[in-house]
Amino acid sequence: MNGRGGIVTFFLLLFLLIIILLQILSMVQSDRLYERLNYLLDRLESLGPARVTPKKEALADLPGEEYPGDGGDWLIWRFSVEPRTLNPISVEGDIYTMWITTGNIFERLLEYDFDEAQLKPWLAESYEVSDDGLEITIRLRDNVCFSDGKPITTEDVIFTYETIMNPGVDAPDLRNYYYNIKEVIKIDDQLVKFIFNEPYWKSLEVVGLFEVFPKHIYHFTDPAEFNNRRSEPVGSGPYVFEKWDVGRKLVLRRNENYWGHKPKLERIVFRFITNDLAAVQALRAHQVDCMIPTPDQFSEMSIDKEFNKDFRCLAYWNPGIPYFFIAWNQATPFFKDRRVRLAMTHIVNREAVVKHLLKGNAQVVTGPFYINGPQNDPNIEPWPYDPERAKQLLDEAGWRDTDGDGIRDKDGVPFRFRYSIASGNILYERIAKLLKDDAAKVGVDVIADPLEWSIFIERINNRQFEAVTMGWGGAIMEDPYQIWHSSQIAGRGNNFIGFRNEDADTIIEEARRTMNDNNRNNLYYRFHRILHEEQPYTFLFTRPTFRFLDQRFENVIVHKLGLNPHEWYVPKEKQMYK
Amino acid sequence: MTTYIVRRLLLMIPTLFGITVIVFAISRIAPGDPVSLSMGPGGQMDAERAADVRKARMELYGLDKPVHIQYAKWLGRLARLDFGDSIKHHRPVIELIKERLPITLTLNLLAFVIIYTVSLPLGVLVAVWHKRFFDRASSVVLFMLWSLPVMWVGQMLIGYFCGPTFKNWFPPAGLSGNYADQLPFFPWLADRLWHLVLPVLCLTYTGFAYLTKQVRAGMLDNLQADYVRTARAKGLSNWVVIFRHAFRNSIIPVITIMATLLPAMLGGSVIIEKIFSIPGMGLLAFEAVTTRDYNMVMAVATIGGVLNLFGLLLGDIAYAIADPRISFESAV
Repeated sequence: MNGRGGIVTFFLLLFLLIIILLQILSMVQSDRLYERLNYLLDRLESLGPARVTPKKEALADLPGEEYPGDGGDWLIWRFSVEPRTLNPISVEGDIYTMWITTGNIFERLLEYDFDEAQLKPWLAESYEVSDDGLEITIRLRDNVCFSDGKPITTEDVIFTYETIMNPGVDAPDLRNYYYNIKEVIKIDDQLVKFIFNEPYWKSLEVVGLFEVFPKHIYHFTDPAEFNNRRSEPVGSGPYVFEKWDVGRKLVLRRNENYWGHKPKLERIVFRFITNDLAAVQALRAHQVDCMIPTPDQFSEMSIDKEFNKDFRCLAYWNPGIPYFFIAWNQATPFFKDRRVRLAMTHIVNREAVVKHLLKGNAQVVTGPFYINGPQNDPNIEPWPYDPERAKQLLDEAGWRDTDGDGIRDKDGVPFRFRYSIASGNILYERIAKLLKDDAAKVGVDVIADPLEWSIFIERINNRQFEAVTMGWGGAIMEDPYQIWHSSQIAGRGNNFIGFRNEDADTIIEEARRTMNDNNRNNLYYRFHRILHEEQPYTFLFTRPTFRFLDQRFENVIVHKLGLNPHEWYVPKEKQMYK
Repeated sequence: MTTYIVRRLLLMIPTLFGITVIVFAISRIAPGDPVSLSMGPGGQMDAERAADVRKARMELYGLDKPVHIQYAKWLGRLARLDFGDSIKHHRPVIELIKERLPITLTLNLLAFVIIYTVSLPLGVLVAVWHKRFFDRASSVVLFMLWSLPVMWVGQMLIGYFCGPTFKNWFPPAGLSGNYADQLPFFPWLADRLWHLVLPVLCLTYTGFAYLTKQVRAGMLDNLQADYVRTARAKGLSNWVVIFRHAFRNSIIPVITIMATLLPAMLGGSVIIEKIFSIPGMGLLAFEAVTTRDYNMVMAVATIGGVLNLFGLLLGDIAYAIADPRISFESAV
């Protein structure tokens, strides 16, 4: 071999050595992670499903006591996605717009109390619901004003309502909730009456929970004017808009004219950081104060003692959390039979998903309601993981392996279906693998089918799927009508699996008219039981909300509804920004 | 020459028309549309209403008309240089591009300058020291760099150099610090440059290999040419021969590469922008495609198409200017 070959060989060998070394290092690293994981699992078992520390210190009741602590400092909150607009009316259900504007810039007539989870007057002083549920009268506070000093009157409330109802305004999906309103009557500057077509228990939420827009600022002649007003929002809230550097950050400044209790933090900055790793690094370098970690990041960092010195690792249940499920399309030959759906639930090892894939930071659900809410029946036990029972059920339903190819069949149709998931979601891909594995053991062939999001939605709307996994967002109290009533099967409705059950339909309809909370929740208990028996979905799990927060913030309370940054403060000596 | 350029410019019109037709057709044929996407699966509301809402939205965005009419309308607007409004952002497309273009340009220009300042001398050196240790070693190193995936390198850099885990040297995200608004110009510039170090590093390290190889190949061809031997025979010093004679001639292909880089300069890189949370053109275009923001897709494709065509033309012209042996007169 000549000299030139020697050098090439030398570098090749060196390169190979480096690769081997890197491989060994990564193996060591994964061993370490595994150890930590075990430690975490042990700890979690001793702690229960989530570390919730609700404190019963009531939120300052308006008008009541001030928030405690020193004024000043900023809160820098990392968002992974930038909102499209800061106009909560013309938005298409963007959660980030809501997080920035609602409660900070815009306020609503009523708000849910953070601890009691009940609607309470906010901009309103009081409200009255008539016995038949057809009339709601709201009296505004007389001391409330917008950030520019102009008082809020019923003119503004009616303007906001009319804007939502204006067919030219780009808010058709929001408008959808207001069609039940027959008439809005202004009695005087303080008093307004809403009259409804039909009694509906959500009416109070509908009129109480919209952001009141100042008429003197937003008035328009051409709806396009309103649609294009995406930035520089003006409302009545404790913060006012300061600036928006597109793609970088959005800054809110404290409203010094605020009519209620002023929060202590002087600015809230939303920084847009797309990369999750970069976000944690920014947090650790104290360039960001608050972020929502990925579940993996939470598992890893929450047991790191050094990290916990500087940052709170919060995991708590709140009603906004979604639940995840596998939906079985009942229009297919497989899933129209209840026994087959039940068999599928028996082969999905939900405990394993929670324990291993989600590292214990989740809880198995049995129905569509928020697990700590009043509609959820806590006595319903999830169906266990039981492949033997699944085999029996499939046999009973007539799915047997008649041609000996290892896959069950019936009337010449093999039990083989596509399991559609949104691509790029590691968790869904792992669930798909688990399902494929367990299904194969009972003679069912699952083909994982990852799809780009827009194609995924198109398939669901056109009913071109056999089984899908998705999540539905939650609320304190839900009306199951959209997802479960049989009228919603037709067209492109939300009952895309074609669930049809007469008892369920009757209960859903009756519950809509029932204004008494207890009676209604009893109906929902019955509905929950029907879903449990029918298994139109295999309900998977729900996850707590994760949060990392800099330790310099004080008075951080985990309420029943989550965190309220308005009550946080930073002691003078720890303040970072001016 | 002038006739040639005019002819090329005129030829651009049908080419561009073809590009827009194809992009328009593909964007509409692709499954999904911005309305269903914004409404989510099932429209998230009562089925009866969902159909109405869908219709109202389609009308609002002009998507209810047949495709050829939509295209004609789009062309009509383009004639007035109006790219329409972004469906996702409710804002004029051109405004969004204006916000992002300077960022992408800064990044790419910096990367470009660095790649050329390193690669040109390096290419010359390795050609001069052909088959010596430095040639081989640099070639191995450059190819190793070239083959490292940016995604992995970016994550590693953020993981090890942007936080207390190893060295806290650089900021992990964005283009400016929290205080940047309150800084005077020079500290502001320093802050900006500090934020640019890692993204620019990621943009450059893969580029060295290609350009260095180009320069090296050109130099080797020229160093073996007769005129170089003649120059040496005249008794000129080695470095004069290399830089005055060989380098000048071998730089011609490099100049033309530069011209074709024009569209790439404005394109941005989705991966690097995503890793470093930089709001550039790459992410904008990527988002436009995934959210089926038709107007944005068309704007990006059209601007990209125009730049590509101009880049090619500039490349050809640069060729003629740099190399007197090439003439377009015969082609006309």
